[in-house]
Amino acid sequence: MEQQVDALRTEALALIASASDAASLEAARVKYLGKSGAITALSEGMRSVPKEERPAAGKLLNELRAAVTSAIESTQARLLEAADSSAVASLDLTLPGTFPAAGTLHPLTQLLDRAVRCFRRMGFAIADGPDIETEWHCFDALNTPPDHPARNEQDTFYLPDGRLLRSHTSSVQIRVMETTPPPVRIIAPGAAYRRDEVDATHLAQFTQMEGLYVAERVTLGDLKGTLEFFFRELFGSGTEIQFRPHFFPFTEPSYEIDIRAEALGGEWMELAGCGMVDPAVFEAICQKRGDRLYDPEKVSGFAFGFGLERLAMNLSRIPDIRMLVENDLRFLKQF
Amino acid sequence: MKISLNWLRDFIDCTLPAPELETLLRRAGLEVASIGGRGVSIDKVVVAEILESTQHPNADRLSVCKVNDGTAHPRQIVCGAKNYKVGDKVPLALPGAVLPGDFKIKPGKLRGVESEGMMCSAKELRLAEDAQGLLILPPASVPGTPLKELFPAETLLELEITPNRPDWLSHLGVAREIAAFTGAPLKKPSSRVKPQEGGTGVSPVNETGSAAQMSTDVANQPSAHTAGTVMPPSSVAVEQASHLLADPSDKTTFYTLRKISGIKVGPSPQWLADRLAAVGLRPINNVVDATNYILFELGQPLHAFDAAKISGSLRVRPATEGENFQALDGKTYQLPAGSLVIADGSGPAALAGVMGGESTGVTESTTEILLESAYFDPARVRRASRTLGLFSDSSYRFERGIDPEGVATASARAVELILELAGGTASETLQTAGELPPRHQVALRHARVRSLLGLEIPDSEIDTALTRVGLKNLGGSKWEIPGYRREITREADLIEEVARVVGIEKIPSRTAGTFSPGADADAAYDFAMELRRRLAGMGFHEARTGTLVPNAGTQDFGGSVELKNPFGDDQSRLRNSLVPGLLAAIRRNIDQGAKSIPLFEVGRIFTPAGEGERLAIAVTGERNTPDWRGEPARPWDIFDLLGAIKNLTGAETQPLANPPAPFGAAVEILLSGKKIGTAGQLHPGTTRELGATHPVLAAEFDLSAWRPLAPRNATTTPLAKFPGSARDIAFTAPLLLPYGEVRAAIASLNEPLLESIALFDLFTDPKGEKIPADKKSLAVSLVFRSPDRTLTAEEVQAATDRIKSHLRKNPALEFRG
Repeated sequence: MEQQVDALRTEALALIASASDAASLEAARVKYLGKSGAITALSEGMRSVPKEERPAAGKLLNELRAAVTSAIESTQARLLEAADSSAVASLDLTLPGTFPAAGTLHPLTQLLDRAVRCFRRMGFAIADGPDIETEWHCFDALNTPPDHPARNEQDTFYLPDGRLLRSHTSSVQIRVMETTPPPVRIIAPGAAYRRDEVDATHLAQFTQMEGLYVAERVTLGDLKGTLEFFFRELFGSGTEIQFRPHFFPFTEPSYEIDIRAEALGGEWMELAGCGMVDPAVFEAICQKRGDRLYDPEKVSGFAFGFGLERLAMNLSRIPDIRMLVENDLRFLKQF
Repeated sequence: MKISLNWLRDFIDCTLPAPELETLLRRAGLEVASIGGRGVSIDKVVVAEILESTQHPNADRLSVCKVNDGTAHPRQIVCGAKNYKVGDKVPLALPGAVLPGDFKIKPGKLRGVESEGMMCSAKELRLAEDAQGLLILPPASVPGTPLKELFPAETLLELEITPNRPDWLSHLGVAREIAAFTGAPLKKPSSRVKPQEGGTGVSPVNETGSAAQMSTDVANQPSAHTAGTVMPPSSVAVEQASHLLADPSDKTTFYTLRKISGIKVGPSPQWLADRLAAVGLRPINNVVDATNYILFELGQPLHAFDAAKISGSLRVRPATEGENFQALDGKTYQLPAGSLVIADGSGPAALAGVMGGESTGVTESTTEILLESAYFDPARVRRASRTLGLFSDSSYRFERGIDPEGVATASARAVELILELAGGTASETLQTAGELPPRHQVALRHARVRSLLGLEIPDSEIDTALTRVGLKNLGGSKWEIPGYRREITREADLIEEVARVVGIEKIPSRTAGTFSPGADADAAYDFAMELRRRLAGMGFHEARTGTLVPNAGTQDFGGSVELKNPFGDDQSRLRNSLVPGLLAAIRRNIDQGAKSIPLFEVGRIFTPAGEGERLAIAVTGERNTPDWRGEPARPWDIFDLLGAIKNLTGAETQPLANPPAPFGAAVEILLSGKKIGTAGQLHPGTTRELGATHPVLAAEFDLSAWRPLAPRNATTTPLAKFPGSARDIAFTAPLLLPYGEVRAAIASLNEPLLESIALFDLFTDPKGEKIPADKKSLAVSLVFRSPDRTLTAEEVQAATDRIKSHLRKNPALEFRG
């Protein structure tokens, strides 16, 4: 019996060890532990073993069964491990990914949103006004003389009813002050129009960001601090900013802002107009509102405006402004 | 406006190099658009006299010249030009000279003949843009003289002058600004005009009456000015007679005339021609050039009438109804009502401030002139000029406002110059009409300066700043404004001057401000931005198309707004839908060979009823690119769009029986039962026009309708605690029976346990092999669930059977099995 067990163990362990896959291992299990397996047969042969030898033989047999079972389990684990590792090892990770491509936001939208987020950090809210404006909102209230060239039909689009397409978003300043008591602290992104021939640097329609802050004791220092913060936030702390005295009918003093930043190509560029709201603008608002909430003796404020197209062009090295409205996917997908 | 630095130095000793001057001017608000140069700055180019010229022995087109270069020995030069004769003086580049373009002159042989230099054209010396042949110099030029001395190099500044500062439209004005910012004194212009000899009896006019002080006053402006009057010059009587009739009702014009007799009209001397050329003017004759010179020097436009051609007296008067005027440009203008003319007995001799008349202009034969120097109402000049589309250097200045106090001074200076250039005798009287407008007086509160600028600046510094720019303190808060700064009328204007002189860099930046409540515009911005980001996440690319569109695309979308003065037919209207713009973008991308074109846009539209915010999607081409798995490409179809809309809005869609153009099939998009948009597949005809080979799909949403319906704060429902049970039903239906009807029929039973209905298979067979061609096979998955228990198979089956038997009431539905 003992020899028989030994021989069977040797044979079984060898066969199990040689199993190369789940199927041959299972075959080995069936061969020894199956219903008509060798070890099962041996167990059944116990009946013929003399009673006094039975405990010893039973022990031998149990040990055999345990050894074979254990060998099967460890081989099973070994085979699973091998199969698992070969399953992932076969992945060719150099194949291209296949997730559907994401879309993109237009470069002007991206720039606009960066600017909006920055102004919101400073406590500005968004304001809005119509593209089709009255001459009063676009010019008169902004202290523009009646025969100012900007009102010319050569330069500004008019509707047959006398209204016009706003030539700047500054009209939103008027819209806001007309309806909101001070303090107001707003930005107004939107379209503006000039009757220009379209070429590599001009569009008849362009995008502006307007800003206005009116409250008690707003100073030129506030204007400077706000715009310096903004441009450094947007284009980096190394951005150089110069305020150059200029002229706009609706602000006094007025400045143009020149900035130089690595992100914008490292050249000085004329970027924005700004200034302290002209008292004549406040007077026009007071007259329209029929109250003195915007009395220039009580409130002061600053306003600014800049175009986004040229900024986007410098930021992203876009050679022709028309690319911003042609919507060629080869262009859009680069953002 | 061009400023010559040489000319500027007549008024101020300014040694700043051009770039530093540029910085200074920019700080003052005077923008330098560009810095240019004129003249010759090249060494070793001299005047040479051509002594002889012979044919080159080996080249038909070349000559061999002997020239005198100012040295004892004639120099031999080979030359290709033909435009000279022996005895001409020409520029000669000697060996060692470096001409523009880094062209080095060396001695050498040309076709075998020695050449010791090069004779030059004006172009080769950059004295002209384009010039044929040698530059022939004036006969008086002395051989050997460096060309640098003949054509002194000078720097020119091209200035961009804002409309509020007409005083900068002259060399004097710019010099005055430099003086204010550097502290350098304004000086007497280095007049080339020599004092008259032999007692013509005329001294230059000026308001303090002394000829010796005249030039100083040009620079500094009269300090003894009394508002509203003209100080009578000592030697020139002011007269209101003979040639000039005043119009007492005209309170805005100040007009002067001076008569000069016995002049000889001829060419201007070189120095004058040079100066005019430097600022971009062509010399005409000494009289006209003198007036132009004063215009650019002092900013005062002048006009000379040929006195012989004036009949009777001149009168400044409004144009009469329908009056015609032939201007110096040779054209005849019908004068607008209210424009001001200078007229004699036979009609307008000049359109005030804009242009002189053809018939009374100075010609070669003129011997007697009437010299006009005047101040006109800026608005009146502007209106006349713009109405007629007639612009001149004069109108440019008058319409912005000239210095009325400089009128008499400029007249005197011009007389001085004309007498020098053209001889003659000036009348001893300056005839005037009208009165000088009074000087403005403006009050300033020092505290107001500090509070508006945010700068702690002492009163004394404020006063110093204003004094530096020529303003005069009248004691206390009152300031008197000189005539050349008439745009200063308010306290704000004075504060601006303080800010300009002190410099914004002195003002401390402050970062503070009030808090702002969000407005509806904030919510609209956030809503639109959220949609943009979600659409980009879904694979759509954001487009931005123009608001101005051709009429053609607008008709499908109802009424649109037309422009009165469009730039062209293709931009004659305001868009009333975003869809046409996106379709144009699709066409463009198809032309560029794009395979998949998923676009969207958020933007504004315009209808006769007002403006609206829209979102539109337009898509065509292949939905997916075939990849290495072997999955085939398939085109975007309407169900992709409907799925995208479901993702984006959570809205229901309702097929439209009569799809609006340009759709061939369309649905309404309904949120909470309200319409927020339309979506569909374009009509095949439109699709063909776009050149698309796949269906073109589009949707447009009205954001102002949608936004109030969009859920702001999501609420949750309890999570299911018990498992659901699914049953599939499959049946054939007539091909044209909408699935929606089947679904509605199932839903109409209101089975309490039915949780969801989902189509999972749709099969058609156009060949009629597996199912008849006029049928379709549908398979629907029904999920049943109870919130409080696990369902039994029997209950589920019973519910499924009820649904099936309900559907069977429609005999067209045939269940399998």
